Amino acid sequence: MVQIFSPVADTWIRLLLVGGLSLAGGSIVAAVGFAHSAYMTETDMRPHQPVPFSHRHHAGELGIDCRYCHSNVEAGPQAGLPPTETCMTCHSQIWTNAAMLEPVRKSLADNTPIPWTRVAKLPDYVFFRHDIHIAKGVGCASCHGRIDQMALTYRAKAFTMQFCIDCHRDPAPHLRPQDHITDMAWTPPANARKEGEAIAAHEGIRFGELTHCYVCHR
Amino acid sequence: MKRRIDHQSAGGPRVWAGIEELSDDPQFQAFIDAEYPAVQEFSKTARRDFLKLMGASFALAGLTGCEKSSFITALPYVDQPPNEVIGLPRYYATAVLLDGYAQPVIATAHAGRPTKLDGNPGHPATQGRSDIFMQSAVLQLYDPDRAAAPSRHGEAVSWADVESAIGVMRENWRSDQGEGVRLLLGPTTSPTLLRQIDAFRKQFPKARVHVHAAAGHEARRQITAAVYGQAAELHYNLGDCDVIVGLDDDFLGPGPDQVRNALGWSQARRRSSDRPGNRLLMAESVPTATGALAAHRLIADARRMPVLAEAMASALGVAGASKPDVTEAEANWIAGVVDACKDRAGRSLFVSGLSGSAATALWIARINQQLGNAGRTLNLTAPIVGPADAGTLADLVSDINAERVTSLLVFDCNPVYSAPAELNVGEAIKRVRSSVHLGLYRDETGALCEWQLPLAHPLESWSDARAIDGTVTILQPVISPFYDVRSVHDVFAKLLGAEDQAPDAAIRETWQASFGDAFEARWKQALHDGFIAGAAPFVTASPASNTVAPPNTTGDLDIVFQPDPTVWDGRFANVGWLQELPKTLTTVTWSNVIAVSPALAKRLSAANGDHVEVTVGKRHLKGPLWIMPGQAGNTVALYLGYGRTRAGRVGDQHGYDAYQVRPAGEPWLAQGSLRKLESREDLAVTQLHHRLDGFDLAREVTPGQVEQTTPEQASLYAPWPSSKNAWGMVIDLDSCIGCNACVTACTAENNVPVVGADQVRAGREMHWLRIARYYTGDVAEPRSFFEPVPCMHCEDAPCEMGCPVHATTHNSEGVNQMVYNRCIGTRTCSSYCPYKVRRFNFYDYRSPPESPEHAAHNPDVTVRSRGVMEKCTYCTQRIEAAHVAADKENRPIRDGEVVTACQQACPTKAIVFGDINDPNSEVSRLKRNGRHHVLLEELGTRPRTTYLARWRDDDTESRQG
Repeated sequence: MVQIFSPVADTWIRLLLVGGLSLAGGSIVAAVGFAHSAYMTETDMRPHQPVPFSHRHHAGELGIDCRYCHSNVEAGPQAGLPPTETCMTCHSQIWTNAAMLEPVRKSLADNTPIPWTRVAKLPDYVFFRHDIHIAKGVGCASCHGRIDQMALTYRAKAFTMQFCIDCHRDPAPHLRPQDHITDMAWTPPANARKEGEAIAAHEGIRFGELTHCYVCHR
Repeated sequence: MKRRIDHQSAGGPRVWAGIEELSDDPQFQAFIDAEYPAVQEFSKTARRDFLKLMGASFALAGLTGCEKSSFITALPYVDQPPNEVIGLPRYYATAVLLDGYAQPVIATAHAGRPTKLDGNPGHPATQGRSDIFMQSAVLQLYDPDRAAAPSRHGEAVSWADVESAIGVMRENWRSDQGEGVRLLLGPTTSPTLLRQIDAFRKQFPKARVHVHAAAGHEARRQITAAVYGQAAELHYNLGDCDVIVGLDDDFLGPGPDQVRNALGWSQARRRSSDRPGNRLLMAESVPTATGALAAHRLIADARRMPVLAEAMASALGVAGASKPDVTEAEANWIAGVVDACKDRAGRSLFVSGLSGSAATALWIARINQQLGNAGRTLNLTAPIVGPADAGTLADLVSDINAERVTSLLVFDCNPVYSAPAELNVGEAIKRVRSSVHLGLYRDETGALCEWQLPLAHPLESWSDARAIDGTVTILQPVISPFYDVRSVHDVFAKLLGAEDQAPDAAIRETWQASFGDAFEARWKQALHDGFIAGAAPFVTASPASNTVAPPNTTGDLDIVFQPDPTVWDGRFANVGWLQELPKTLTTVTWSNVIAVSPALAKRLSAANGDHVEVTVGKRHLKGPLWIMPGQAGNTVALYLGYGRTRAGRVGDQHGYDAYQVRPAGEPWLAQGSLRKLESREDLAVTQLHHRLDGFDLAREVTPGQVEQTTPEQASLYAPWPSSKNAWGMVIDLDSCIGCNACVTACTAENNVPVVGADQVRAGREMHWLRIARYYTGDVAEPRSFFEPVPCMHCEDAPCEMGCPVHATTHNSEGVNQMVYNRCIGTRTCSSYCPYKVRRFNFYDYRSPPESPEHAAHNPDVTVRSRGVMEKCTYCTQRIEAAHVAADKENRPIRDGEVVTACQQACPTKAIVFGDINDPNSEVSRLKRNGRHHVLLEELGTRPRTTYLARWRDDDTESRQG
């Protein structure tokens, strides 16, 4: 009687089994990895801007407070990009002829907005509000990273749902005192949780209610 | 096994939603058994096509990953306006117009684009309430079919050409003092426009003004003038009435005074918590919303109204009234009226509509005089609407035909469509040497005039107008015009020979005189408040002593003409929100119908949708028949506003044109005949869609039953664990007038799409909130009920059990959440929902990306795409905004801080929303009311939306008000 299976059949089966499983597992790992990669989350990308604006220079070296330009951040959902007038408060006095600032002068002269490229962008189905995060002790750097060290601005954190919900599930360790909201160099104290819980209690943070869908999606 | 659907409550009346249901039609049963009837209609071969398509869709699904980069352009201001908070809306007080009257609004503008209109809470007449026309004005603003640039003989021209043509015209007019110049306009209340018309007549003394109104209060003003012997307008003070008696007067139905009447009526109705605060007795030929609410409703043909009025006058002892012959039913009803009015001097009100014209109204006026109502529940003012001493359209047409007209200027009025066809206005206009039409659309009239000038929408122009009580609102633009349009005042300024001026110059000039030295301050105050305090003063007048013969009624059938409940006289035909709104009582969408009584339909052996031919005099029209339960036997109702040919892409070619048979002499009640035709059409009706299966769907209580409320049903499940706030809603069925303001407000607030007539026929209308209309009793003489049904937000929600991907979940505040980006479209939730409040996007109903309608969307709410389920969210965007506002101040949310869109719009304040954890909140107070009940309570879903039962007040006990 003819043998159906050759002597190496067992080996083939084992190889196939191991190979198939590792391929499946590997694909999942690769897919998840790809989804979280800098390419997909668009972190560390410095898109072209009409003016090569340096946060490192303005916020870091000169120490201008975030809210001088992003003046809307405590009042409304969006932090707001500064109007051309804000740029010109200084640049009508200094660097008045710099070639780099030509688009800013042209914007004022033509009364047309400067077409910035948005760096920190959430999907359309996320209804994020800056004002309430600021009011409850979330610092700028918590989401935007060390803006004061960025020559050209990039997205420092991957704005995935995981990123948001980690903090919404357990806000306490991420909170900071009100006078350090815009402080880029602030580091959490050793007892961050205890301090944060005190801040949360003081700010009346609604523990447990922040993870509901309608808080961000509607 | 299929269950019989039969809403038989123990000992209670049978509740039915349509006549098909009453007749136990097997087709109807099949329709009901299907969750989405249209889905059942896949043919056999379609299954293979479906699989092929599905395969292709899967293959293509990967492509959706190829999204464009998220690095998009962000445009800041160059010079940011002071106080501007980016991302938050700004609010402007202004007004939109209906029938010439101002409807005061607060416009919400996001980034300079108005997205939502709501009533102005400070306004004395409307107190922040709205109606469907006010709510949908914002969609008309963004209508891409609006006239966008001036044209001459259909060729685009510039405004410079128009101005030079006006200059030439003025030269010609000056030579003969305006002989042959005619202005034709709709009724207007604008003090500035009236001033400009006066100035025009001073410049050209021989010019004449004509007014044309196809519907609205113009006819009432004429009747009132005939009755009182002087031009006047009637004002009902329903808030002070114990008893209201009406003859064919739909005062709670659509119209310029709906909001004020509804407010007054409902406030009086809720005066006491243990019995209805007033009683309504109505005699009607055609069922209306007002009749549906009556304690006693008499069905009588339109021609009977003058007789009934005189019979009531005679029974109430009015001098000069003889006792006419009445039927037994009529005599009983009149006895009820007399009984109800006993000891109610000055606390009752008699009202009449257009049936029987001045003959009816004169007796009604005398009754009000006799009972001491005049000056208390019924007030008169001088006419708020002008221009005075204007001619009619019929005068104008005969002048044109007599070659006496050389120039015709038509302002915001469409007589070619909306005039009785027998006047043949179109032919007349063609005979005029030079004709100018100023209007929002290049409509039927605009197409025939030499010049068509695009008019600015009220939301993009400066103007002024008076509300129904005479209070002036200054209209300010909320957006700068995005078409090349001008306001009526700009065009008039050119006709007056003025140089270019600021757009608000004419309005400022009008108010300069009355504001005087404090002009700037008072002007700013008026713009801020949205009105200038000071209603029209009341005047006293007695009804004339002459007798008026009732109109000649010798024909077979009474043909009654009514404005359409949603598109009015046709001017709103291109507004999709209004077309898709199920009309009060009929629930028909996208068409008008010829309404007849069940008895007449039986004589014709016709069913709903069968074509019939109506003949009035020598003119005919063909339209779909509608069997209207409760309509008088020999009365036929025709609805205006349809059959348009140049309304735009939305409004053209729906329904029939009732103006074709409307007699110019008797525009409201004519005599005619009816003939059944062989053809029929499938109407887009919603009355049988989204049906509930259960008991006691339309609950009524008598004052005696109020105390016997059943305790909350026991449940094996623990109550839903709640955080600080627990949201709930109570809807008072006794106050609901079925006006659809809530549905329109919800559509505007929540970006609800318009799906079109075919999709409505398939049961796919997307309204998150529907007004279910139920009947009980006999088809000839039913009782009618309105029941608004939004998502119930059940604590034990069946839909949440069904979803395989947790796209619908519950939050700790008790809101049943719908997460669009999780939804994979299985529709299980909808089939599990016993209240049928979920809506599925079978197609991508969004307008193309470049459509201007997108600007009307609320940016705080997702615009849903194909394949996802959606439903009422309790306006979660407003809840979250209130949370943010409260959390920023570290305080709890106050009662009344979260107002849902439907609640905000409701003219009778029938909808109350709030925190049920707070025992002192309004909603908690209502949940303890004796009339409180839960819809489909037997299912144990523990809904957060609950109801107050309607008062049943046709017995003697409740008369002791």
